[in-house]
Amino acid sequence: MKKILAASLLCVTCGAFAQEELKIGAIVTLSGAGAAWGQTMLYATELAADDVNAKGGLDVGGKKYKVKVVAYDDKYQAGEAVTAANRLVFEDKVKYVIGPVGSAAALAVGPIMEKNKVIMLTLGFTDKALAADKPFSFRPNLTTMETSQPQINWIVKAKNVKKVGALFPNDETGQQIAQDLEKAYAKAGAQMTSKEFFERERVDMMPLLTRIMAKGVDAIELDGNAPGTAGLIVKQARELGFKGHIIRSGGPATAEIVNVAGVTATNGMLVNTPINPANSDVKTYADRYFAKYKKRMNGFSPAFYDGTHMLFQAMTQAGTATDTDKVRVALEGIKDFKGILGTLNWTGKDVYGSNHQISAPFYVARVQDGQEVVESTCSLSSCQ
Amino acid sequence: MDFTFLIGQALTNGLIIGLLYLLMAIGFTLVFGVMRVVNFAHGEFYMLGAFVAYVCVTQLKLPFLAAVFATFAATLVVGWLIEVLVLKGFRGNELNGMISTIGLGMILQNGALLVFGPDPQSMPPVAQGMVSLGPIMLPMSRLYVVVFSIVVLALLYLFLMHSKGGRALRAVVQDPEIASAQGIRSNFMYPLGFGIGVALAAVAGALMAPVFSVSPSIGSTPLLKAFIVVILGGLGSIPGAALASLLLGVVESAANTFLSSSMSDMLLFGFVILMLIFRPSGLLGKSGR
Repeated sequence: MKKILAASLLCVTCGAFAQEELKIGAIVTLSGAGAAWGQTMLYATELAADDVNAKGGLDVGGKKYKVKVVAYDDKYQAGEAVTAANRLVFEDKVKYVIGPVGSAAALAVGPIMEKNKVIMLTLGFTDKALAADKPFSFRPNLTTMETSQPQINWIVKAKNVKKVGALFPNDETGQQIAQDLEKAYAKAGAQMTSKEFFERERVDMMPLLTRIMAKGVDAIELDGNAPGTAGLIVKQARELGFKGHIIRSGGPATAEIVNVAGVTATNGMLVNTPINPANSDVKTYADRYFAKYKKRMNGFSPAFYDGTHMLFQAMTQAGTATDTDKVRVALEGIKDFKGILGTLNWTGKDVYGSNHQISAPFYVARVQDGQEVVESTCSLSSCQ
Repeated sequence: MDFTFLIGQALTNGLIIGLLYLLMAIGFTLVFGVMRVVNFAHGEFYMLGAFVAYVCVTQLKLPFLAAVFATFAATLVVGWLIEVLVLKGFRGNELNGMISTIGLGMILQNGALLVFGPDPQSMPPVAQGMVSLGPIMLPMSRLYVVVFSIVVLALLYLFLMHSKGGRALRAVVQDPEIASAQGIRSNFMYPLGFGIGVALAAVAGALMAPVFSVSPSIGSTPLLKAFIVVILGGLGSIPGAALASLLLGVVESAANTFLSSSMSDMLLFGFVILMLIFRPSGLLGKSGR
């Protein structure tokens, strides 16, 4: 008996020696307005980590790594994100970071990551998040830059939209998206006749909506707003008697918007969605997500689940988990990755100067009784 | 651009929001008046009230009216306990009292974060649809808030002006020493004043919960507005708070409608700074405390 015990003890320690730990850092928003996105990114990373851990760890160069996710809340603030980045890079010594969520935060932590050769998968929508001189920054999700033009072309034509009003948060993300959307609508033959900027904490949108509605717009654009805020905009616009279209050209948030604004107010809303409800892989993932976290996943989640798996594959291919120069090259080199979203490739050379932007299919959906119904299937060039 | 629609809508939006500010500010100014404590946790009681109402309506399936009463009662008790357990030692000590309420606010906010999580929750609307007055739209959900606020304020007025407890409370606000010389038990009045003050903030939170969303971080904006109101109206002055909050609501709403949102914030704070420089006692406040 004693011998068996000793042997098993030995084996426990030997197992622990053979298996090293691979830490993935996460700088995500877990409180306040952007929490829905931060959570969904973190949970996606955790689920991807669960996948490899269930197989006994990530196999890199003959070693098995147990993947552990270390997360810090950035509260959607650049300052907090920098603190988190410093802790992750210098104290936790991570080599890979998921996040941040916001553009300002992504720009603020970018230099720390690049300088210390930490590979970052960010959600930040700003076009400055990726650049030729940012070799360690990648973006696994589609942004307004990629999706807005094909989608807006389609909506303007199919729904006969002429004048659009929009509200944006007054920060890097909001300013950037406002600029992109204004151009995109102009190109599609419609006009953004009124745009309003407000502080992110704002909850009473009525004065701003009053102004927009007085200009006689026939559609309100929600893109750029955090899910909870977008929900309040929809609710209050309908309460003020707005009868036109409500469009969300990017940033999946339908579940949260319906949760805040209610089923009636959201009927007929046109949204961008990276997920086709008919996709069974995503459905399986969503069910798994719900089973573990008791929450409906946000549409960004599959992108980060796929992104984390691409990162794992890059480490396996590079044969190292520590030399991020090699892993980065391997990650760039991944072609036709079979993710749950479909076939994924890197693109973005023309727009950003480096092929670090994911290219994935997406959809335009109409919200009906709280559910998305796909109206059009899109690629990065056009919607059908 | 339809001008009557703009003006009318801006005014009604402003009055509705002004009433909400009033509920917040009266509690704030009452607590200051009674205890000379600037209650930095006031916004967190707004948040707490929103959550209590949310739990009452969604989990316990209470009707909204009952939920508002339950919120008032629950936060009155919580406020009472906090005064007795935490703030008792800081009565009349402005700096220490203020710092302890900052800590209290953090505890409440992070406590809510632990219990309820960071997601904004949504409460079912109390009323749907809207009433139109010509071109002006009045959402039913906000009209409810107006009616409830007016009822709460009327009850508060009756209590303060025409009841023994209210008179005693006002006496403590005016002069604690003379009040206790007249046989008013300050050990009863301090917790009561604090309890009523924070319960008013909680009622504001409960009323606004179905209109806006409910999350642990919703308390900071109303706290800021309460600050502005009491600075404009005069710290400790209830009529001043009433005047200033309606003024703030209307000016803010009009500025937001006719100027840009960031401009209106700048304008507002500019106004507050001017007020502090040229009339530090506020519109109706008494100077020389």
